[in-house]
Amino acid sequence: EERWYRSASGAPLALRRRQHSASCRELALRCPRLRLRSLSAATSAAWLAAYGLFLLTENSTVLSAAIIITMIGLIMYLHFVKIDQESLLVMGSLGIQVTSSYASGKESTTFIEMSQVQDVVINEAIHMQKVIYYLCILLQDPGNPQGVSEVVPLFQSSKPRLDCLIEVYKSCQEILEQRKMAPQSS
Amino acid sequence: NSPAPLPERAIYGFALFLGSWFGFILYLIWAYVPETWLFSLGLTYWPQKYWAVALPAYLLVAIGIGYILLFGINMMSTAPLNSTDTITDNYAKKQQQKKFQEDAIPALRDIPISEVNRMFFLPEK
Repeated sequence: EERWYRSASGAPLALRRRQHSASCRELALRCPRLRLRSLSAATSAAWLAAYGLFLLTENSTVLSAAIIITMIGLIMYLHFVKIDQESLLVMGSLGIQVTSSYASGKESTTFIEMSQVQDVVINEAIHMQKVIYYLCILLQDPGNPQGVSEVVPLFQSSKPRLDCLIEVYKSCQEILEQRKMAPQSS
Repeated sequence: NSPAPLPERAIYGFALFLGSWFGFILYLIWAYVPETWLFSLGLTYWPQKYWAVALPAYLLVAIGIGYILLFGINMMSTAPLNSTDTITDNYAKKQQQKKFQEDAIPALRDIPISEVNRMFFLPEK
């Protein structure tokens, strides 16, 4: 099922929850697409600035350079920066998989084994003059069972608000509780 | 250590008052009196008058940059979102568990984040 939430900056986000089996759940968060008006505003601003430079310097290579730079900049933005969807696949007793798919179609995946995962928690931290809530995976310290060796923040670019994070947290905890109740097989 | 007025404090205050007036008058003399007059009085080794304008300018720019620098240092020293400093620190790791006493207020301790999350976000039915 799909529900609508808001990100920390106010943009609408869609959270889709799918239950594949009793111990496997997928949560996908879809970010707003690149809007045509902001794209055309940025392109026109860049090309107007280049035209102004051309009028000042009487050098026509400024115009062709501006066109090429905007094209390459747009492609690099879509491929490296603009994230379309971030998803979390929690498989009890196997692990957690985090996928980010970019606007150009590229997908980058990280898989964390269940034995390394200590817990999935909602943490608060200071980020750029704001205090935000964010979901993170706590990785276990191999020497110390209570200790935390690493923190992996999730949903970094969509930054959902607390109501969405609570839903994701509850779904993850339902799966993570099962591994405490059935520790017979390792 | 109270902030009440004392005779010694009055004397320090007055000495500072006279000293600051003296320094200000000296600065005005250095900046405005022509060099030839100062030479004729025998004061030949005073710093260049350029510094009478340059030092206040340096001071004001330093104060302005100080605001930006403080802002930047604060931003640099906040822990990033993926560091364990947002969850625990040395004092919390080494804390000792006090024994539980009946009918007493529990001792102050740092509660692990998993427990706090369960209490806040998982409703007990």
